[in-house]
Amino acid sequence: MGLWNRERTEDLGGSGSGERKWKPDGRPESGDKGQEESGVGTDWAERLQALWKMGLSRSRKLPEYITENVSEELIQLEDLVKVYDTGALKVLGLKRINLTIHRGEFVAIMGQSGSGKSTLMNILGCLDRPSMGHYYLDGVDVAAMNPDELSLIRNRKIGFVFQSFNLISRTSALKNVELPMTYARKGKRFREQRARTLLERVGLGKRAEHMPNELSGGQRQRVAIARALANDPPLLLADEPTGNLDTAASVEIMELFSQLHKEGTTVVVVTHEEEIAAFTERIIRFRDGEIVSDKPNVPREPEQKEAGPNEKGH
Amino acid sequence: MLIENMKMAFSAIRANKMRSFLTMLGIIIGIGSVISIVSIGDTMRSMFEGLYREIGVTQAYLFIGYWVDDVRQSDYFTLDEMERVKEVFGDQIAYIDSNSHASADAISGRTTVKFAFNGVDYNYQEVQPVNIVYGRYLNEGDVLGRRKNVVMDTTSAMNLFGVENAVGKTFRTTIYGTTEEYTVVGIYRKKLSPFQAMMMGANTEGGEAFLPYTILTWPNDYFYALRIFARDEATMDVFYNNVKAYVAKSKGRQPEDFRLNSAKDEMGQMDSIMGGLAAAVGGIAAISLLVGGIGIMNIMLVSVTERTREIGIRKSLGARTRDIMIQFLTESAILSACGGVVGILLGGGLVMIGGALLGVQAIVKPGVVLLAVGFSAMVGIFFGIYPASKAAKKDPIEALRYE
Ligand SMILES: Nc1ncnc2c1ncn2[C@@H]1O[C@H](COP(=O)(O)OP(=O)(O)OP(=O)(O)O)[C@@H](O)[C@H]1O
Ligand SMILES: [Mg+2]
Repeated sequence: MGLWNRERTEDLGGSGSGERKWKPDGRPESGDKGQEESGVGTDWAERLQALWKMGLSRSRKLPEYITENVSEELIQLEDLVKVYDTGALKVLGLKRINLTIHRGEFVAIMGQSGSGKSTLMNILGCLDRPSMGHYYLDGVDVAAMNPDELSLIRNRKIGFVFQSFNLISRTSALKNVELPMTYARKGKRFREQRARTLLERVGLGKRAEHMPNELSGGQRQRVAIARALANDPPLLLADEPTGNLDTAASVEIMELFSQLHKEGTTVVVVTHEEEIAAFTERIIRFRDGEIVSDKPNVPREPEQKEAGPNEKGH
Repeated sequence: MLIENMKMAFSAIRANKMRSFLTMLGIIIGIGSVISIVSIGDTMRSMFEGLYREIGVTQAYLFIGYWVDDVRQSDYFTLDEMERVKEVFGDQIAYIDSNSHASADAISGRTTVKFAFNGVDYNYQEVQPVNIVYGRYLNEGDVLGRRKNVVMDTTSAMNLFGVENAVGKTFRTTIYGTTEEYTVVGIYRKKLSPFQAMMMGANTEGGEAFLPYTILTWPNDYFYALRIFARDEATMDVFYNNVKAYVAKSKGRQPEDFRLNSAKDEMGQMDSIMGGLAAAVGGIAAISLLVGGIGIMNIMLVSVTERTREIGIRKSLGARTRDIMIQFLTESAILSACGGVVGILLGGGLVMIGGALLGVQAIVKPGVVLLAVGFSAMVGIFFGIYPASKAAKKDPIEALRYE
C-alpha cells in the first residue's frame, strides 16, 4: 500500500512546510523557482560556484508548486468562462462557473449531453484553457502558464482517464503505464517496477506485456487508470470512464475509484448514469454550461466484501 | 529516454515496413553511391600507389625543358657529366643512368620479335629488384666493357626462343644502325598483379630486355636525360632541387630551364584527377541525398498527421514540446541512418564483389563508413526538424479531438 499514501517519494522533494502561501498569480512569495537565495560572495570563484549551483538546482529541482501540496482547496474556479469561437458563431461552453473542490473529495459531474461537462473536465485537466476567469489548482493559477509548465502540471498533479481509453497502440500495457514516469524522467528500473505494481493493483498483473488491442474494454480502462496513477497525482479526473463499458465492468471501475478516494486521492468523475454517480460523495449537475445543483451524496457501499479489484478475475 | 525514443522509432518504422523502405530508398542510393565511389577511389589510389612503388617513387628524370627555344649541344648530357653528378651528390644518389631506351626487332632463327631495350647500370636491380630464375643479372664488367649481354623475362624468352630458360642463347638485333649478336645471360620472372598487367599492357607478343646502358649511349655518348633514384624519399624534393640547380649551373643555365619529372609528382597528378572525379560523382550523390531527405520530410509529415491523436495522448500525460520534438527527430534520424546502413552494405558490397572479380583488394575505409552513417543521420535530423516541430507545437486538446 506504500504506493498509495500521500507521502512524496523520490525526487519530488521534501514537503515539510505545508503552510507556504502563494500569491494569486500563482508564484511563490520568495525565491524564484524554489531555489535558495545564492549567497553572493565578493570572490569571483565563490560567485561562479554559486552560479554553478544555481544552474544545477535549476536543472534538477522542480518548482515548488509542483512538488508541494499547498492548498486545502485543490480546485478553485472563479468566474470561469469558456467560449468556443467557431468562426460564424460563438458557443458558450461554460458560463461563469464558481466551484471549489477540496482535497480528498469524490465528486460526480452530471448533466445532459452538451451541457459543458467535458469542457469543464478539459480545463480542470489543464488540457484546455479558460477564456476568462481563474482556475487555481492547488493554489496556483494555471491560466497564466505556458504549454510546457502545463505539461509538467499534467504530468505530476493530474491523472486523466478518458471515455475512449486513449492507450497508445502497438505499445504494451506496461509501457503505457510507464509513459508518464518516462516524461517525469524516472529511472528505467523504477518505472518498470512501479508500472507492474500498478497493473497488479488494477488486476492486470498478468497482462502487462499485452498490447491494447489484445485487451477488453474494461481491461483497457483499467490500464488507463493505472497509467493515470503512475506519478501518484493528487487529482484524478475521469470523463465518462464507464461510457464504453457494460455494467459489471463499470462497477469494477467505480469500485477502484472508491478505493483510490479512500486512500486520499481527489476523484472527479463525469457520468450520465445515476448508478455510477451513486458511488460518489458529491454530485454536481450541469445544464447549458451552468451549475444547477451541487449536493452531497451518501455513497453506495461497494457490495459487502473486502476484496479489491486485484483479487477479481480478468 | 534516448533509448526509449529509439525503441519507439524502431517500432514505428517496423509498423510501416514498406513505406519506410521506400522512403529510405533515396538515402540508400545516395549513401550507396557515395560509399562505392569513395571506395573505388581509395582502391584505385592504393593500386596506383602500389604501381608507383614498383616503379620506384624516388625516381625522377631530369632534362632540358621543352619550353627552351635555343637548345644547345651542351644542354644534353655526357657520361663524364653523369660521373661528376655522381661524385658531387655521392650517397644521396641510389642509382643513376642515362635513361637510354631502344626499340628494335630481335631475330632468333626464323622468329622475329619486337623488343624494347632498357639501358641500365649493373646496380639497377638494387632499386628495381627482379626475380632472376636462370643465369645472372648484368655485372660491372658488362657495363664497363660494353658487352652485348642482355637479361630478359620469361615471357619475352618464350616469345623469342620458345623456352623459358634461354640462358646462353643468342639473337641478332640492329641498334642505331649496327647489327650485332647479343647473348642472354639471365632470365627473370615478373610477378604482376592483374591490375598492373592491365595498366602496363599484357605482353603476349613483344619482348623486353635489360642491356648495359653504355651500349645505347655509344658511339657519341650524348644523351637527353638523367634517370636518378634518390636514396631518401623524405628529403628527395630538396635533393632533386639541388641536382637541378647544380646541373643548370654547370651548363650555364637557370634551374627553371630544366624539367624534373618525378614519379611522386605524377602520382600526385593521378590523385588530383581521381579527386576531381570523386567530387563530380559526390555532387550527384549529394543531390540524391537531398531528394532522399525531402522524401523523409514528406513521410514524417504524413506520420505526424496520422499520429496526431498519439501526440495528444502523450501531451496529456505530460510530454513537453521538447519530448515530442526529440521523439520525431529520433525517428527521422533513425529512418535515414537505416537507409545509410543499407546503402553502405550495398555500396561496400558491390565494391567488394567487383574487387574480387577483378582480383583486386577493394578498400572500404571504416572512417568513411562511420562518416556516411553520421551524415545520413544528420540528413534525417535536418529534414526531420520541420515535421517534428509541427508535431511538438500541436495543442493537446485539438490533438486529442483529432479523428
Ligand atoms: N471544440 C469545440 N468547438 C466548438 N464547440 C464546442 C467544442 N467542444 C464543445 N463545444 C460545444 O460546447 C458545448 C459543451 O460541450 P461538451 O463537450 O462540454 O458537452 P458534454 O457535457 O461533455 O456533452 P456529452 O455528455 O455529450 O459529452 C456544446 O454545445 C458543444 O457543442
Ligand atoms: Mg463529454
